[in-house]
Parts: sequence; structure tokens; C-alpha cells
Amino acid sequence: MILRSDHIAGGAFVAFGAVVLALSGDLPVGTLAFPGAGMMPKLMAALLVGFGLLLVLRAGESPLLASLSWSDLPHAARTVLITAIAIAFYQTLGFMITMALMLFALTFAAERRHPIAAAAFSIGVVALTDFLFTVVLKTPLERGILGF
Amino acid sequence: MATLDSLLLGFSVALQPDVLWYAFLGCLVGTVVGVLPGIGPLSGISILLPATFGLDTTKSVVMLAGIYYGSQYGGSTTSILMRIPGEASSVMTCIDGYAMAQKGRAGAALCIAAVGSWVAGTFGVLVLTLIAPPLAAFALRFGPPEYAALLVLGLVFLAYMSPTSLSRTLLMACVGLLLGTVGIDSMTGHFRYSFDIAELGDGIGIVPVAVGLFGLGEILSTPSATAVGKVIAPKLRELLPSRQEWRDAAMPIARGSLLGFLIGLTPGSAHIISSFLSYAVERRLSKHPEQFGKGAVAGVAGPESANNAASTGAFVPMLALGLPTGPITAVLIAALMIHGVAPGPTLVNEHPDVFWGFVASMYVGNLMLLALNLPLVGMFVNVLRIPYTYLYPLVIMFCVIGVYEVSHSIVDVWIMLIMGVVGYGLRKFGLDPAPLVLGLVISPTLEMSLRQSLIMSNGNWTIFFQRPIAVALLALCAALLALAAISLIRSRRDWRTRLAEVEAGENP
Repeated sequence: MILRSDHIAGGAFVAFGAVVLALSGDLPVGTLAFPGAGMMPKLMAALLVGFGLLLVLRAGESPLLASLSWSDLPHAARTVLITAIAIAFYQTLGFMITMALMLFALTFAAERRHPIAAAAFSIGVVALTDFLFTVVLKTPLERGILGF
Repeated sequence: MATLDSLLLGFSVALQPDVLWYAFLGCLVGTVVGVLPGIGPLSGISILLPATFGLDTTKSVVMLAGIYYGSQYGGSTTSILMRIPGEASSVMTCIDGYAMAQKGRAGAALCIAAVGSWVAGTFGVLVLTLIAPPLAAFALRFGPPEYAALLVLGLVFLAYMSPTSLSRTLLMACVGLLLGTVGIDSMTGHFRYSFDIAELGDGIGIVPVAVGLFGLGEILSTPSATAVGKVIAPKLRELLPSRQEWRDAAMPIARGSLLGFLIGLTPGSAHIISSFLSYAVERRLSKHPEQFGKGAVAGVAGPESANNAASTGAFVPMLALGLPTGPITAVLIAALMIHGVAPGPTLVNEHPDVFWGFVASMYVGNLMLLALNLPLVGMFVNVLRIPYTYLYPLVIMFCVIGVYEVSHSIVDVWIMLIMGVVGYGLRKFGLDPAPLVLGLVISPTLEMSLRQSLIMSNGNWTIFFQRPIAVALLALCAALLALAAISLIRSRRDWRTRLAEVEAGENP
């Protein structure tokens, strides 16, 4: 069997729908006269499984899985990793430190810019944004354990 | 007469210096957002949403709407000067706009695009002024069965208009509807899929999902190696089109305005679809169709007018019915709700200053955009010279701040990141994320209306066929599904297939 993109996409949605149905066990469907909290999610999960199967059945019209280009994957993975680390420390270190480090990591480590240019960009942008939000828009951004 | 009085009230609000300032700010940011490829109006609005928390409702919605229609103006600049659509609705402008630029008529193309956008935008606001209040008054007759039928019609219409297949669109809408059920069930108090995470009790927010899918998802699928081409910068004195060019543009602008407004009323990517349809109509009506693709004035005037009229038309169901026709109006609804104002039939009576101030600000905003886009085109072109390697980290930073500041919830930021990865995956597999956002927005209302309808009829599902408005709306659903089925059977290459091909070409 030749794998096509819709085989994977459809299969993923069938699996997602099945997982939702499995997690919905304790949600009551209720009756037609008084529908319960589980009616809508179970209905949607069932439809998701149905449409997912339809996607798999009609996958012949979709491109071959092997023909999909993944050249942007390393860029995407680096960006997600750096952003995830920044999110994890955002509330602890605050806006200024976390975002300055994230911008530096993205421009220097991910994009191979000159370290001085990357540092100047990161610090400058963060300082300007903090000024904009704190002074101009009067909406202070998150402060970290160091107080800024 | 009552409409005129109300509009005068609106102008008394919109012409206050501080409201004017925020309208200007929205238009300026919108133009920059439109000029920059990869950053759409949705990202711009979502990112600036927290900055409006300190403002009153009128100022915040005036600024956010300015970003939306401003981006439609700005999108034409990169299309004409670089053959890169700054915004998805400017795809069609690339073809003849860039061809005109290569012939040395870049200034004329920009001027026609700006004037066409202004005419269409003003026409759209004029029609909105006339039809939104009576439509809202009519919608007051709606009960739960009518709302349920209307929302189902919205989803079916979206699926019908979508460039991807009906089943793919409905699949994505189902995912959105499912995500919309997360949180406490407002009728029974049951916790649904919250996994002991307190923040999920309130449900999944629209902003993290929209910013993740559209803002972050776009960045993840755009490698920094994507080079920016040569920028043609026209001089101010070159902006005036010739008399013949004005004549060639007049009718396409009129047709594009009407067509765009009508399409804007329907759910889906109306501003994108309208520009595509307008281009097709102009080519069909032209006495010289062979000039299309080689710098036809109508190929710029029609689509640019259509996408602006469509963006204004989308405000009609949003303001009159409280019904979002796409992710952008959904975020605008969220912005109104954050300020404690519920858009819908009661808006015009309960908050006339917000409703009419918003409408009047669009008249003013369209004038501002005309003044901004022509003389300052050189400045906007310079924005394109910012290297992408510096631009995208900046956008990610604003995505994080934008999402976090909505409710100071780090869970929302994680949801945004997850949705960014999901958006990247959806693009890879040719699935449109827009129906997902729409499904998420309408999910609580649809579920509530559906359950209330069944409760009030004591479980008799034929209630949807016993009320005239609900029957009419469901009949329209059935007709659209039948049309889609006929189109599938004939497997003909209709305009949606061609639109899908163009979009695929822009986002390989």
C-alpha cells in the first residue's frame, strides 16, 4: 500500500476522536428531553472519527507522503524548543530576562547572527517594548523574582 | 431619519481626538501588518488585544477594526512592488499589480489600489449603516432553535465556500467544536476534559488558539532562508494614474465593491474568496482578457476593491447577529466581550455609542488610510527591508506577551505553542485551520442553543422544523449541501478548486 498524506491525517483524527470518546466515559449523554454534558463532545468526537475515516477512504486524491517537503522542520523544531524554554521560565524570570534571552537564542543560536548584533537587538527590543507597555500603554508586563 | 441621527451620534464619538488617535493607530499598524508578509491581520489584532485592556470599549474596538481593514490596504503594497502578497487576500493583485510595476506603472497601480480600497470600504460602511440595525431588530425574534439553525448554516456555508473539500472543512470545524466543549458545562456544572488544570475550567480561549494556529504556525512553516526580493520604490510624482487608467478602473471598482460586500456577509475567508472571484469576473467581462496577467488595470482595481468591501461586510453579521464569519471577527467579538459588551441584536440599543461610534470611525478610518497609503508608501516599503531573521523572533515575543496578557495565564501560552505546532502540521497536510477557530468560537452558543431547544420542546427534535425562520435556515443548509454534492459528482473545476490551486501555489 502506498502511503499518502491523507492516510496519516485521517488516521490521526480517527485516533484523536477515539481518545476523546475513551476519555468521555463519565460524561452523561442525558436524554433528548434533557441532554447531558456529554452529548455535544461525544457527538463531535463521533463526527471526527467519521470525517477522519472519510479522509482515509478518499486519500487517493492526496499527495504521496514521501512527496511532502520537510526542509523547514529543523527551523520549526529549533523555534519551538527555544520558545518552550522561554515559556517555562516566563513567570519565574519575568518578561525582561526571559524575552531578552529568547530573542538572543533565536537570533544568535538559531539564525547564526553576530553575537554583538544579536545581543544589541535583544536588549534594545525588550527595553523598548517594556517602555511601550509600562509607560505609554500603562499595562506593566510580567515581573520576575528579581523584581524586573 | 433615525439612522441619520444615530450616525451623527456615532460621529460625535468617532471625532473625539482620543478616538481619532486610536483609529489612526489601528490604521497605521494594520497597514504595516498588511505590508509585512507572514504577519496577517489576525496575528496583529491578537497581539495588540492586551494593549486595549486599559481603553474603553469604543476605543479598543475602533483600533482593532482599524488593524483589520488597514491590513487590506497594506497588503496591496508588497503585491504590487515585490510580487509577494503581504496578506492572503492580495494574492490576485500580485499578478497584474507586479506586471504594471514592471512596466513602470507601480505608482499608478498603488494609487488605483488605494482609491479602489477607499471607495469599496466607504461603500461597505454605507451599506452596513443601512442594513445592520434592521437586521439586528429582526434577529431579536430569534430563539434557541433559530440560533442553532443559524450557526449550523454558518458552518455549512463555510464548508461550501472553502477552497478545500467539504469533508475537510467540516472535519476542522468539528475539532473546533470539540475544543469548545472543554471546561465547565454551564448547564450541569460538569468538568469536561480539564484534567485537574484549573485554568482549563474556563475553557480554551480563542486568542491562544488563533495566535498559535495563524501567528506561530505561519512562522514555523516559513524558514528564514526565504529571501526577500528586490523592492521597487515609486516616487510620489509617479502615483497619479492616466485618464485611460482611471476609466479602466472605474467599473471594476464598482463591481468589486458590490461583489466583495455580498461575499463578506457569508462565513469563511470572504476577503480572500472575494478578490479571487472579482478577478475571475473582470477577466470574463473584459474586452481584452489577453491583457490579464500582463498588467491589466482591472486586475488590480477589482480584487483590491472586493477584499476591502468584504472586510467591511464581515462586520454586519458580527454586529447585528453576534455571529463571527471568520477568525478575525471572532477575535473582535472576544475583544468586545472582554470589555463586557456582548455583540448581537441588543448591541445597537444597549450600547448605541459603541455601535455607532464604531460605524462612524470606519468612515473616518477609510479616509485616514487613503491619506496614509499614498504619500507614505516609501516609508512602508522600508519596513520590508527588516531581515526576516530579526522579524520573526520579534513576532514570537509579541505572540507570547499577547496571549499571556489576556488573562495572565501561562497555560494559555502553552496552548498557543501547542496550537502553533498543530498549525504547522495542518499546513503540511493541506488542512485549513480557519474552520477550527470558527468552530471553537461558536461551540458554546451552538451547544447551548441545541440543548435549550430540546429542553423547551421536551425532547421533540422536530422543533427545528416547526418554526418558520429555523426551517428557512435549515432549507438553505440542505440546498448548499445539495449544490456541493452536485459539484462533487460533476467533479468540474469550479472557482473553489482554482482558488485552492492559487493558495497552494502561494504556500507550497
